Amino acid sequence: MPVWRASLFVLCAILVGGVAVLPVVARADTPDAALTKLIEDARAEASVSGACTQPDLDRLVRVFCENRLRPGVREYYPLFGTRDGETRSGYDVDVGRELAKHLGVEPVFTRVNAASRVPLLAEDRIDVILATMGHNTQRDGQVRFIRPHYYQSESTIVGPRALAVKGWPDIAGRTICVNIGNGSNAQIVSHNARLMLFDEAGVLPERLRDETCFLAAQDDSFFDYYFTDPEFAARYDKKFGFAQVPWGMAVARIPATDRLARAFELMSQIFHRDGVFIDIARKNRVGTGFLERQQAVWSRPECNADTGAADPACVLPALKADLEPTPFAGRVIAFEKWFQTNTGFDLSLPMFKTMPAWSLFKAGIVNSLILVAGALAATVIFALVLGAVQSTRWRLLRWPGRAVTVVLQSSPVVLTLVIAAAVAHAILPYSSSVALGAAIVALGLMNGSNAGQAIAEAMHTLRTERGSASIRTRTLFGRAVGRSATQIVSFLINAAKGTPIASFIGAPELLSALTDITAFASGRASTYSLLLVFYVVVVMIVVWLCGKLRALLERRHEAS
Amino acid sequence: MMPFLFKIPDNFFPQLLAGMVVNFEIAAIALVLGLALGGLLALARLGGGVLGAVATPVIGLMRAAPTFVVMFFLLNIIPNDATLFGVGVAPSGIMIVALSLVPYSASYVADNGAEALQQFRRGSPLGALLFLPNITRAFFVLVMSSSAGAAIGVTEGIAVILREAALLPGLADKLVLFAIGILLFGVTLQIGFAIIRLLQRHLGRIATRDGKGVT
Repeated sequence: MPVWRASLFVLCAILVGGVAVLPVVARADTPDAALTKLIEDARAEASVSGACTQPDLDRLVRVFCENRLRPGVREYYPLFGTRDGETRSGYDVDVGRELAKHLGVEPVFTRVNAASRVPLLAEDRIDVILATMGHNTQRDGQVRFIRPHYYQSESTIVGPRALAVKGWPDIAGRTICVNIGNGSNAQIVSHNARLMLFDEAGVLPERLRDETCFLAAQDDSFFDYYFTDPEFAARYDKKFGFAQVPWGMAVARIPATDRLARAFELMSQIFHRDGVFIDIARKNRVGTGFLERQQAVWSRPECNADTGAADPACVLPALKADLEPTPFAGRVIAFEKWFQTNTGFDLSLPMFKTMPAWSLFKAGIVNSLILVAGALAATVIFALVLGAVQSTRWRLLRWPGRAVTVVLQSSPVVLTLVIAAAVAHAILPYSSSVALGAAIVALGLMNGSNAGQAIAEAMHTLRTERGSASIRTRTLFGRAVGRSATQIVSFLINAAKGTPIASFIGAPELLSALTDITAFASGRASTYSLLLVFYVVVVMIVVWLCGKLRALLERRHEAS
Repeated sequence: MMPFLFKIPDNFFPQLLAGMVVNFEIAAIALVLGLALGGLLALARLGGGVLGAVATPVIGLMRAAPTFVVMFFLLNIIPNDATLFGVGVAPSGIMIVALSLVPYSASYVADNGAEALQQFRRGSPLGALLFLPNITRAFFVLVMSSSAGAAIGVTEGIAVILREAALLPGLADKLVLFAIGILLFGVTLQIGFAIIRLLQRHLGRIATRDGKGVT
């Protein structure tokens, strides 16, 4: 065959072959075509006699064998998953129905909650989790998340409309109500806010209403329902959002779910592109901002392909939630197990297991000791200053000194601390050190004023006893300090005992640190037991040291 | 600019007074429980023996326990659904604050109760009666200390003031509001001290009339 003929033949073959192949390639390129083929193949397999009784049956094939899809949904999550008798409703529920409809099978829902959803999937009692589950790196090891994500929530701070809070700088030093275990707690803590912890998120709106809480943080999807109540919406608003977390459907992390996961990925792509998710969201009155952005993404040619779900440019990353373990975390876990085996008590020591918790714990201990030492020193200084002022013969000095003492005695400890913090923050920008300093000054003033009054009273008795004897004022003052040693020591101990209350104004002492740790870790009982032991030991050491000081002062008093 | 007081909502003072009632309620519960526990500890200490040997360090530990930490300890170790013989025993916020004050009140009662009993045994009933003004003093200390409840969401007097203060933008306004709080709590405290002084004078008059010294 001449060369030109051979070349023509090859060219024709390529063209014919290309034309024949092109429609196939085009079909396989779209998620719709890939999904159709996947479903057809699985249905065909399911229709083969005996296929449905095979062990380790492919989960997509099993869906067709049983003609049902078993989504796990929530029943008490307003707007997303609720149940009224036999009627289920919500965004997650409708997404489940849409998935089943696309597969041509019946949806059979099972109730799950935050704690049971992963175990139920692992036990093969549900096929897919559709239950407000945020996709983070920690959960990646437990389940197989479907991408693209079907929704996205963010944590939001909610508070009274009259309260001017616009961002993190306005949060420092304020108390925010949160539920234990909420993924965004650590972020709130890092902005110098104090946390008030609750076991369940469901109580937060009620705690806002009864004014136990001034600010509360939770998923925006959670608060969406409460904002449908006109009275709630009139009183409160969303201050700002943070910690966006994509929600993922999830299937079991086993090879048998490969094709089921693939089917859900392709459906999720199509639902985003065609606005199915948006329609479901509108029907259930949930926010559509994220879904509208995702529709634009999944309509782009490079994402609207059967490989789109694997393209990092199209899908969202999981939220990084892994906490770095300490070098000795393994030994701590072993000790916890040994303790439980030998005593029957469930001991949990979260402060030793992760680096953020360990850092908070160490800083908390150091700050507590600084606070105790500072409060003791401030008490002594204010006692001497206010004692001297109240002992002077000049009325212009003595009377203001007494007035200050009466005011300080009349102010509850929490109020004095708050006033000190308010004044400090008006002068200096908020920081942990400023809170610590304000607490030291407040504790010193409260206890020093009382001790100072005792010194002044002792000075008065000494002057009365000695009449007009010519004793230098400084010497007499020294003797007055000795005479009031018991009172001074009593208020020093009181100052040491009062230091944990500094956490109320955001001083980062041990109570604050452990509250922060328990906000994102377990083991509250053992953590607070440890805290109690720490402070009791510290106070007992102070009592012992004060006993020595009192003996010294009394010896000097007797010698004089 | 409007004068400050016009910015205070109408219901502020009723709420503040209602909050202060909560302070008194907490103090009363803590004192009653402290009297019961502290009385037993005082008797045990004076009785000596094994019970006395146990009571002394227990009183020491209670004296050293910081109220604020005890409050958070109780809040976190008692489950919300705690039951005893099928009956829910999870304490309310008010009860938790009151319980956290019990170590202080019980150790105070134990110390002063033991002293009063000793006075009584030495034949000085009036010396023993000094227990009454001391207990009154403890009650007012408990009223002031109950403000710690603000940290766990108990709506007592200080919590009401702080809630209102959070809505005020300027330091000057806040300080005026805080001054109102100090005034109200201060008046309460001074009334308490006046009661203590009256009690002491009354006991003194009885002592002078009967010719017995208060030792």
